[in-house]
Amino acid sequence: MDALTLELLNGVSLFAILAIVALGLGIVFGLMGVINLAHGEFVMLGAYVAYVVHANGLNHWLSVPLAAVVLFVLGVVIEVGLIRRIHRQPELTILATFGLSVCLRQIAELVFSKDFQSVPNPVPGATEAFGVLFPTYRYLLIAIVAVVVAVTLLAFTRSRFGLVVRAIVADRDLAESAGIRTGVTNLCAFGVGAATAGIAGALVAPLGAVEPQAGLAYLPGAFLVVIVGGYNRLWGVAAGALVVAAVQTGVIHFYDAVWAQIASLALAVLVLQFRRPTPAGAIA
Amino acid sequence: MRLEATDLRSGYGTVPVLHGVSLTVASGEIVALVGRNGAGKTTLVKTVLGVLRATGGALRLEGVDITRLPPSRRVRAGLRATFQERALFGALTVSDNLRLNGFGSESHDRVLDAFGPALSGRGSQRTGTLSGGEQKMLSAAIALATGAPLLVMDEPTEGLQPSNVALLGDHIESAREAGRGVLLIEQHLELAKRLADRFIVLEKGEVVDGGPASDPGIAARVARRLLI
Repeated sequence: MDALTLELLNGVSLFAILAIVALGLGIVFGLMGVINLAHGEFVMLGAYVAYVVHANGLNHWLSVPLAAVVLFVLGVVIEVGLIRRIHRQPELTILATFGLSVCLRQIAELVFSKDFQSVPNPVPGATEAFGVLFPTYRYLLIAIVAVVVAVTLLAFTRSRFGLVVRAIVADRDLAESAGIRTGVTNLCAFGVGAATAGIAGALVAPLGAVEPQAGLAYLPGAFLVVIVGGYNRLWGVAAGALVVAAVQTGVIHFYDAVWAQIASLALAVLVLQFRRPTPAGAIA
Repeated sequence: MRLEATDLRSGYGTVPVLHGVSLTVASGEIVALVGRNGAGKTTLVKTVLGVLRATGGALRLEGVDITRLPPSRRVRAGLRATFQERALFGALTVSDNLRLNGFGSESHDRVLDAFGPALSGRGSQRTGTLSGGEQKMLSAAIALATGAPLLVMDEPTEGLQPSNVALLGDHIESAREAGRGVLLIEQHLELAKRLADRFIVLEKGEVVDGGPASDPGIAARVARRLLI
């Protein structure tokens, strides 16, 4: 029973990590239609913000809002300098963001070296709950992710900004004809997408090594979640993360991590096979 | 507010549709633009609003060159258009469409009541589930209620029942009386004759005829052009 509870908690933790990593991609790719292959590098840079905060002896929790601000600014610069000119041409967007991902990795190498860096766990130790001991930091991570995802979902579904984003997604020309400045909205949405990737990076930094190639590990998972959850409704990201986490945790429990990855990819292929003409994913 | 198109050219990809259209619409004037299917009327509307990029010529609003401005800047400058198709966000509610067009919740009822009870109390309904005629009414009601000094209306009566065609005509006349300029693209010749101060006939992307409504021969010439 304890082993099952532990697996469940691991599953929830994985769900939280997948959701926060994929949230930004859900905004940028799912809502705006920009295939951002540099999303993993945004997460990696968020992790480096946590590393810099730690290296300067500051409180780790400061890195979460700081990573959001730094990545928001970077996202805005990238949108203005690169994405804005090409976002209606998917093939160019793929090439450009792939090039951007290489550049960001190289810049990270130049600034921080290829060495693996570590960010210490700010809340070491475990908490006993549901009859099992589980890392306290992971409980906190789950709570913070729940808040960030909920706030982002509310902002994109209940606010005027969210309404405007949905209108642009539905019909950019019509939105412009209603007087909506689609360029400004895209800028904000891309910035928010990058900011949530930064938050993800800062939050996962204590869980693994911080290094220039780290983003490569996050990109496939993020796309997997968005594909499974559906990419025209942001809540699909949460639903997609839940399904992928459940599949991975279940397969890991009965087989191993390699089969878990294979099962996740098979799930994505299955979803793409049965996808409706509109990009609604399996759930949304 | 005066709209002035000079030698306006545009098209789709490498296919030119407008071959140098020149026209003006002044404040307090209704200009009826007529032409057969494929004449380039909708292309002209899209080019005037900026959804379609002009490949040549110039477009001025009150003397200011707006040829290269995006649609949202043109709208903010005082131009509003209703489209023949895809005029509203079908997946969003009627209220959301009103909000997107800048109407606060306190003014929703005023806009929805413009055409009598047909749209009253339909704010929470998904716009795509309205009938074609209702969507046309909503689109026209929104454009008229914005108070924009210059309106471009592409086939606003298409799919409307006769009583609502007459009501829409009244609203457009009221807009003229309020000093607003209207470029009315209309196949419904009777309505065009009732409302227009001037006619412009478009054929194969060129202005081929036109004149004031007071010209005794203009109505017959327009009718003949549409029938040929």
